[in-house]
Amino acid sequence: MQGGSSGIGYGLKYQARCISDVRADTDHTSFLTGTLSLKEENEVHLIRLSSGGTELVCEGLFSHPNEIWDLASCPFDQRIFSTVYSTGESYGAAIWQIPELYGELNSPQLEKITSLGAHVGKIKCILWWPCGRHDKLISIDEENLFLWSLDMPKKAIQVQLQESAGLHNLSGGAWDPHDVNALAATSESSIQFWDLRTMMKTNLIERSHVRNVDYNPKKPHVIVTAEDESGICIWDIRKSKAPVQELPGHTHWTWAVRCNPEHEGLILSSGTDSTVNLWLASPFSRDELTSETLVDSPTRQPDPLLNSYSDYEDSVYGLAWSSREPWIFASLSYDGRVVVESVKPFLFRK
Amino acid sequence: MEVDDVPLDDKAKRMRDLLSSFYAPDPSASAPSFPATHASLDAINSASFDPDQYMNLLVQKSSLEGLLQRHVEMAAEIKNLDTDLQMLVYENYNKFISATDTIKRMKSKIVGMETNMEQLLDKIMSVQSRSDHVNTSLFEKREHVEKLHRTCNLLRKVQFIYDLPARLGKCIKSEAYADAVRFYTGAMPIFKAYGDSSFQDCKRASEEAIAIITKNLQGKLFSDSESIQARAEAAVLLKQLDFPVDSLRAKLLEKLEQSLVDLQLNVEDISSASVDSSDPSEQRNASMPIPSNAHEASVREFAEAICAYRVIFPDSDEQLTQLARDLVSKLFETTEQYVKNRISSADLLHVLGIIWTDVLLMDGVVHEAVLRDHCLEAARMVVKQYVANTFSHLLHDISDALTKAHIEQKDGVEKDSLQVALEASKKRVLQGSMDVLLDFRQLLDDNLELLAKIKDWIIDWVQGGFQDFFRELDNHFILLSGRNNSSSHDQVLAGLVLVLAQLSLFIEQTAIPRITEEIAASFSGGGIRGSEYGPAFVPGEICRIFRSAGEKFLHLYINIRTQRVSVLLKKRFTVLNWVKHKEPREVHMFVDLFLHELEAIGNEVKQILPQGVRRHRRTDSNGSTTSSRSNPLREEKLNRSNTQRARSQLLETHLAKLFKQKVEIFTKVEFNQESVVTMVVKLCLKSLQEFVRLQTFNRSGFQQIQLDIQFLRTPLRETVEDEAAIDFLLDEVIVAASERCLDPIPLEPPILDKLIQAKLAKTNEQNTISQ
Repeated sequence: MQGGSSGIGYGLKYQARCISDVRADTDHTSFLTGTLSLKEENEVHLIRLSSGGTELVCEGLFSHPNEIWDLASCPFDQRIFSTVYSTGESYGAAIWQIPELYGELNSPQLEKITSLGAHVGKIKCILWWPCGRHDKLISIDEENLFLWSLDMPKKAIQVQLQESAGLHNLSGGAWDPHDVNALAATSESSIQFWDLRTMMKTNLIERSHVRNVDYNPKKPHVIVTAEDESGICIWDIRKSKAPVQELPGHTHWTWAVRCNPEHEGLILSSGTDSTVNLWLASPFSRDELTSETLVDSPTRQPDPLLNSYSDYEDSVYGLAWSSREPWIFASLSYDGRVVVESVKPFLFRK
Repeated sequence: MEVDDVPLDDKAKRMRDLLSSFYAPDPSASAPSFPATHASLDAINSASFDPDQYMNLLVQKSSLEGLLQRHVEMAAEIKNLDTDLQMLVYENYNKFISATDTIKRMKSKIVGMETNMEQLLDKIMSVQSRSDHVNTSLFEKREHVEKLHRTCNLLRKVQFIYDLPARLGKCIKSEAYADAVRFYTGAMPIFKAYGDSSFQDCKRASEEAIAIITKNLQGKLFSDSESIQARAEAAVLLKQLDFPVDSLRAKLLEKLEQSLVDLQLNVEDISSASVDSSDPSEQRNASMPIPSNAHEASVREFAEAICAYRVIFPDSDEQLTQLARDLVSKLFETTEQYVKNRISSADLLHVLGIIWTDVLLMDGVVHEAVLRDHCLEAARMVVKQYVANTFSHLLHDISDALTKAHIEQKDGVEKDSLQVALEASKKRVLQGSMDVLLDFRQLLDDNLELLAKIKDWIIDWVQGGFQDFFRELDNHFILLSGRNNSSSHDQVLAGLVLVLAQLSLFIEQTAIPRITEEIAASFSGGGIRGSEYGPAFVPGEICRIFRSAGEKFLHLYINIRTQRVSVLLKKRFTVLNWVKHKEPREVHMFVDLFLHELEAIGNEVKQILPQGVRRHRRTDSNGSTTSSRSNPLREEKLNRSNTQRARSQLLETHLAKLFKQKVEIFTKVEFNQESVVTMVVKLCLKSLQEFVRLQTFNRSGFQQIQLDIQFLRTPLRETVEDEAAIDFLLDEVIVAASERCLDPIPLEPPILDKLIQAKLAKTNEQNTISQ
C-alpha cells in the first residue's frame, strides 16, 4: 500500500522547494517549479503531464538568476508567473513571462515583466487574485503586506496599499476565494485576517507555530492550517476559539497543506518526515462530532488518513493540486524530485 | 397349579353366568352382548346358541376321537351342573323355612303391647293436670315477687345516680378514667330523661366531674410524657364522651407526623454516629447498636401508635398509608443524603438494614401501603446512586493523586515526585478498584432481603459502572493533559502527560485484567439489561481505549518536549543574521540549553518509564574519543571541500545517499526510557536540519554549525539508543549547512578539537563550581 509506486517522477537538477499548478492552462495539466541552489544556475521547469497521464514531459526549461523560494503561476495567463528569490543576502520578487516557444528547449531567457521593488525584508510569498483576470497582487514579507496593481500592457506595477503587520513576523498567507477582500496571513503566534479594502486586521486566531494556511475552496469561512504542534487543524473562522477538527499531521513538522479544489474535505499535507498524507476531513460540525463521540463505541469514526505516500528521499515542501484534473497532485521533495500522483483510488472509497 | 387355575376359573365363570341367566328377568337381554359371528365352541352359553349348528360344526371339525372326548367332557359337565342346581334348591328351601319360623315368633310377641300403651297415656294425663294446678296457684306470688324486684332495681339505679358525682370524684382521684367514663355513659340515658327535674343537682355535679375528666383526658392525650398507648386510650375515652372526634383526629395525626419528624432525626443520629465512628472501626461495633436499638424502639412505638390510631379511627387507612409512605421516603431521603457522603458499603448496609426492619415493622401495621415495593424501589435508587457515587469518588481520588503530585512538583520540593505520582496513582487505580469491588461484594453477600431482590441490578450497575468509570477516566486524562494551560506550566504538564501515558499502559495491561477477573468471579450474571446488549462491562473496549490513550499521551509528551527545544532552535536561527556571522570562537550556548533540556527529559523519563533493552550500545564504540571520529569518510570529504570542490559536493552527497541504506528516522516509539529520549533527540535534530535549510550561511556561520554539531555528537551518543540514526541526522545537519553556505570551507580538525576541548573544560569547571 505504501510507497506509491503509482507516482510519476520527474527529476530536477538541484534542490527545490516550490511547485505551482498552472491554472490558466486549460488544455493540459501542467506545473511550474523552480530550483533552490545557492551556487548553481537556477532553473524554472514547466512540466506537463502527457495526455495519457503516464509521464511528465518538460515543456520548457528557463534559467532564473537566483534561487527561488516561492513561485506562483498567474491564474489567467499561463505564461506569466511570479517568483520570490534570494541572492543569499537579500530577497527580491519579480513577475516573469515565459517567452514564446518555437520548439526549442535550450534555456531561453525569461522575460522579466517587472519586479516588486518596494520590499526591504525577507519576502515570503506572492499571492495572485484568487480567480479570473484581475490586476491585483499581494506580496507578503516578514513585516509588511503589499497590495499591488499590475499594469500588464505597460509592464509596470505599483503599490496600492501597504500595511505593517506589527511585531510578529509574517510567514505566509492565503487569499480567500469566497471573499476577495479577505486575506489570511500566518505569523509567529497567530493567524491574522485582513480586510484588503481598509488594510485592517479584522480577526485573529491565537495559534503559534502555524506554517501554512489554505482556504477551503468549497466552503466559505473554513480554513486549514499546518502546524508544528498538532499537525493539521481545520477552523471555522467565525469560531476562532478552537479548531473544528484536528488531524494528527506528520511525525515531524507539517510543512504544507492544500485543500482539494473540487472534492470537499479532501486535504493534502506534506511534511519534513518525507511523506505526503491524504486526509478526508469529516464534514460534521463540532457539535455533531461530540454528540456522536458520546455514543460512538461500536461504530468508531473511520480513520481520516486515507493514504500516506512515503516514497520520498527528503522533506517534501512543494505541494499543488491540479485545478484541471482535481484528482491529481504534484509534490516536490527537497532533493528536487517531482512526483505526480492520482488520488482516484481513494476518492470514492467512503 | 396355574394350568389348573384356568379351567377352574372358566368353570366358575360359566357357573355364575348360568346362574345369572337363570335368575335374570329377561334372559334374552344378555344375548346380544355376544357377537353372533362368535359361534365358536365357547358360545355354548349364549341365548343364540344353535345346538344343531354347533353339532354340525363339531362333527365337521373334529375327529372321531375328539368327538368322543368331547362327549365325555360334556357328559361330565352336565352332571356337575345338575348337582350344583340341586344344592341351590336345598339352600333356598332352608332359608324359607327359617323365615317362616321368625314371622311366627313376632306375631306372638306383639299381642300384649297395646294394653301397656294405654296405661302410659293415662299416667301422662294425670301429670299434666297436676302441673297446671301448681302453676295457677303460684302465679300470684310470682307476680308480686317480680314487682318487688323491679322496684329494687329502680331504687338501685337511683342510688347509683345519686352516688355518681362522688364516684366520679373518686375515679378522678385514682385516675381510673375508663371506669368513670363507663359510669357516666351508663347514667347518661337517665340524665337525658330526668336530668331537668329530679336529678338536676346530680346531673350538674357529674357533668362537672366529667368536664374535669375530659380536661384531664385531653391533657393526657396531648402530653408528650405519656406513652402513645396511653394517649390512644385517652382518645378512645374522649370519643366515648362524644367529644368532637374530628379535631381530635387531626390533632392526633399531627402528633404522628410530629413523631415522624422525630424518627427522622434518629436516622440522622445513626448516620452521623456511624460517620463519626467510621475511623476507629472497633468503636463502631460497640457504639452502633445503641442508637439503632433506640431507633427501632421508637419505630416500634410509632407502629403501635399507628395501630392504636387505626383502632380509634378505623376509616383512616388512606392517611396512614400516606404517613407510612412518607416515613419510608423520608428515611430514604436521609439515606440519599447520607450516600452523598463518602461511606463504606458496610455503613450503607447498616442503614439499609435498619430501614428494612422499620419497613417490616410498618408493613405489619399498614398492609395497604405496599411498603415493601415502595421500599424496594427507593432502595434501588439509593443503591444505584451509591454505586455511581463510589465510582465518582474513585475518579476523584485518582485525579487527586495525579494533581497533588502535579502541585508538589510545581513547588519543586521533591525530585522524584513524578515517580511518586505514578506509584500513587497506580495504587489508587488498582487498589481503589479492588476496594470498590470488595465493597460492592459486601452488598451482594449480605443476606438482607431487600438487597437480595435487587442483586441482579447491582451486578449490572457495577459492571456498567466500571465501563463508564474507565471511559470517564480516559476523558479525565485527556482533560488533564489539555493544552489550554500548556503555555504556562509546560514543565509540569509534560511530566504529568508522561505519568498519564504510563498510567494508561498500566491500566490496560494490569488493572483491567485484574478487574475483569474479579468481576467474572463475583459479579457474573445480572442480565437485567437483556442478552442482546451483552454484558455491561466490555474489557476489550476499555483496553483498546487505554492503549490508544497511552500512545497518544506518549506522543503528546514527546511533542511538548520537542516543542520546547524547537522554540530554542528557532530563536537561535531567526534572530541572527547568518550571512554576516563572525568567526566561531567557542561552542554556542544553545548547545548547553539543548543538552540541559535533554537531561531534564532524561530525568523525567527515568522516573516513569522502564528501561528498555539496549540494542547496540557500546558495541562498536569503546569511548567518546573514537566515536567522535567514527565517520572518517565524511570528515575527509568535508575537509577536501574547497571552493572548487564545492560544486561537486551536492552531487556527491546525492550519490552517497543513493548508496546508503535509507535510515528509518522515525520509528515507532516504545514505552521505555531510551526509545522516548531517542525519539526526542531525533525530532530535535531533524528540526535543527530544517532550520538550517531555511538560512543562508557565510563561511563562519557554517563553521559555527559544524563546531556545535561536532560537540553535540558525543553527549548525544551517550543518551541515545539508535546511534546510526543520530549520526546520520547530525551529518545531515552539517550537509544542509554546507549546502546553504556560500563558501563552505570547514574548520580544520585541530581547531575544531581545540575549541571542543576548551568547551569541555569549561563545562567541567562549571560543574565543579556548582558542586
